[in-house]
Amino acid sequence: MPTRPVAVLIVDDQAFFRSAAQAVLAVMPGFAAVGEACSGEEAVARVEELAPELVLMDIHLPGISGIEATRRIRSAHPGTEVMLLSTYRAEDLPGGARECGAIAYLHKEDFEPEVLERIWAERAPS
Amino acid sequence: MPIRVILAEDSYLVREGVRRLLESEPAIDLVAVCEDYDSLLVAIASAEPDVVLTDIRMPPTGTDEGVRAAERLREVRPAAGVVLLSQYADPAYALAFLQHGTQGRAYLLKERLSDLDQLLAAIRVVAGGGSVIDPKVVETLVAARSLATQSPLSRLTPREHEVLSLIAQGNSNAAVADRLVLSERAVEKHINSIFAKLDLPEARDAHRRVKAVLLFLAEQS
Repeated sequence: MPTRPVAVLIVDDQAFFRSAAQAVLAVMPGFAAVGEACSGEEAVARVEELAPELVLMDIHLPGISGIEATRRIRSAHPGTEVMLLSTYRAEDLPGGARECGAIAYLHKEDFEPEVLERIWAERAPS
Repeated sequence: MPIRVILAEDSYLVREGVRRLLESEPAIDLVAVCEDYDSLLVAIASAEPDVVLTDIRMPPTGTDEGVRAAERLREVRPAAGVVLLSQYADPAYALAFLQHGTQGRAYLLKERLSDLDQLLAAIRVVAGGGSVIDPKVVETLVAARSLATQSPLSRLTPREHEVLSLIAQGNSNAAVADRLVLSERAVEKHINSIFAKLDLPEARDAHRRVKAVLLFLAEQS
């Protein structure tokens, strides 16, 4: 049994979705939001600073994309997992989304506590 | 008096985000939160809302539930307002939503949710009987309209449109005459006028007939 919740960094340029993700994580005892970032560059810096176990990463961001930010995070901090979260349909995902090192891609409309828990349980290293 | 609001949204993330926003706002009393069309209808009937804030696509069909719920609200609680939230600007849904008037109606794109003030303003405006239409939605409506105006089919009279529609359904001139209570000769005159307006040069009639039907069907799709 994990005694400590999974530390999560929320990355989205829209305040509404950052707040929405905070609201979802607030009802999940196994996860805890430890910080937020509004851009890919800020996400990389915040991972350096906070060492979260999971990053919920939007794809479309100002500056470097969520995909490039994921590459950088995974390269510098292999212990931090990234889940891409966006409004692209799976078939329209931008190039690199599947190879950037993210453990999963999830449409924002499909993001629910059970789904996050399942992906984390199935994909995260034990 | 706070504004009594029902929220209906099937996306967990959006629903919880909006719920959090509205619950933190003293001017709003969030009286029900729904995840599908059926529960929204129950809430409309029982929760005495001033405003319904709803997604368009929800279970069970994932198509136009929000638009239909707005119609239902107009019947049972005509003074209540509706803020329709949509992922994309869709002229067909916007027209259906606004066909009986824009009073107390707002159509916002979900990307506007980032601006809490804008969402709250829309709720206040529709509660007071006003209207807010997202500029992007207006743009798509104008674009759809100008496309329709440019179409040669827009040159047809309503009667000619009716005739062409029946031809497209495979009716002969005699059958069209029968359906519209016209003489066959009158139908022929309509058809010749349709050919002229659609710029179909004189050729074999069957050929022109097929082209006219193809034009008609292309616009329908």
